[in-house]
Amino acid sequence: MYNPIDTEASLLAGLAQGNRKATEAIYKQHIRPIKSWIGQHGGDEDDVADIFQEAMVVLYEKAQKDDFRLSCKIGTYLFAICKHLWYKKLQKDQKAPDILSTDAGLDEGKDWAYEDDLNAHTERETHYQLLHDAMEQLGEPCSSLLKAFYHNDKSMQEIAAEFGYTNPDNAKTQKYKCLTRLRKIFYVAKAKW
Amino acid sequence: MIGQDFNNWELAEAYVANKLSASELANLHKRLSSETDFASDFNECVSMLLSLDQSKKQRQFRNMLVHIHHENETNASNWRVRTIPLRTHYLRTGAIAAGIAILTTISTFSIISHNEKKRSSQYSLLRRELETIKRSQSALIKNINETATTPVTPANYSGTGVALSNDGYFVTNYHVVAGADSIYIQRKDGHYYKAVLSTFDEKSDVAIIKVEDKNFKIGKGELPYRFATTKNPLGSKVFTLGYPQDEIVYNEGYISAKNGYLGDSLQYRLELPASPGQSGAPVTDNNGNIIALVTGKESESEGTTYAVGAKAIVKLISNSDLSLRLPQSNKLGKMSREQQIQSMEQYTCSVKVYKK
Repeated sequence: MYNPIDTEASLLAGLAQGNRKATEAIYKQHIRPIKSWIGQHGGDEDDVADIFQEAMVVLYEKAQKDDFRLSCKIGTYLFAICKHLWYKKLQKDQKAPDILSTDAGLDEGKDWAYEDDLNAHTERETHYQLLHDAMEQLGEPCSSLLKAFYHNDKSMQEIAAEFGYTNPDNAKTQKYKCLTRLRKIFYVAKAKW
Repeated sequence: MIGQDFNNWELAEAYVANKLSASELANLHKRLSSETDFASDFNECVSMLLSLDQSKKQRQFRNMLVHIHHENETNASNWRVRTIPLRTHYLRTGAIAAGIAILTTISTFSIISHNEKKRSSQYSLLRRELETIKRSQSALIKNINETATTPVTPANYSGTGVALSNDGYFVTNYHVVAGADSIYIQRKDGHYYKAVLSTFDEKSDVAIIKVEDKNFKIGKGELPYRFATTKNPLGSKVFTLGYPQDEIVYNEGYISAKNGYLGDSLQYRLELPASPGQSGAPVTDNNGNIIALVTGKESESEGTTYAVGAKAIVKLISNSDLSLRLPQSNKLGKMSREQQIQSMEQYTCSVKVYKK
């Protein structure tokens, strides 16, 4: 029997695990109203893709949390997030100064209840960006080594072969060295920020 | 110390990956609560690893989204299929709107073009049809004297032309010479000279003709008048010399509007009597500047004449490759009107046009 709550819950569970089927289902189900809404508010196809992707990431990150619970339907949540992101973008581009405060919360009355989610999202993105920057500053071979491990999903064996270490344990030691340096750079950068 | 450090990483990695056994975990918790230095270092390691892990996951998720997006874009044709019912829904409305638009366009166009016809009937060109007019006495006389260059049959049309230079260039209206098989100019003294069309501009209705005879000279030295390139003010007194009949005829009047028929900015509107045969007649101001050529008149009100400004002549010459220099000095300025007419007469001639 069809039960939308079950379906949504299972979709979200799938999404949290990065399940492709679940993600695609959510994507296909909800992009249309957002597409037309952004279209009506001066955005083009690329804007839709960017905004919707960002909203999906917000939902994905939210779903990662142990205490995750969605107080509304996925569609409502995504739509609210997209609206917020779009207004933010407009504001940033100075196309529409101050539109956020006036007309933003009208639709559901609680659109901006997700403000916290978005703030958390922004903070997280900054965090990741700092991490990324720190990794860039590491220098070789650490930068490549950590990227191979954390970005490209390579095993320690592969890395040992690729970077010319005699055995995976040596590579591992090197990795820890690099991590220590990364941690230093990262926390310095974070303190500054 | 360094070894210690790496141990912490290893421990943190195993902890994050949830690979510690129950006893190891208990041991860890014990150390964390007792050794503060170790605890802070370990926690930093864990948070670092978690961050790296999370950022990796998010990156993968984003890649997946991009992939999904592209796949959907390529499948976008499905979407378009779905939009067709909407279009057919609007088709009927659209068809009706288009029908109304076409109908409106056609009716507007027909009303306007009807008006145009009415308007153009108010405008008559001032060339003279000569079929019914008997050949004049002077022509007959000249016919006897100069049989070689005199046309045998009477001209179909006639207009007026004025000399542009001493060596045989004349300007007249294009509608006078349009479609001509042969063009003759006839001077005041009755002499005929064969001429050819040099250049013309149908829009402004100006044509330049050239006497074929290479030895032709209209007068001695430079022409006494010049062509005005700027427009004369409203109310300027003007006069004209033309050939509505075989004799030169003088008329005078004034500029009544700076734009001509239907607002044509190349033209003047004049209050000046004109009759057929005066097309191409020079319109001269008090100072002896030729300001325009008579081209047509309003058929419904007597005395209103339209004349194409001399600027159109200058423009036509500059657009053509004729080696033609317009007279620059004006010797008529201080003359009395009678003297001006006497001088102008020499350079104004009748243009006769023959068509099959």
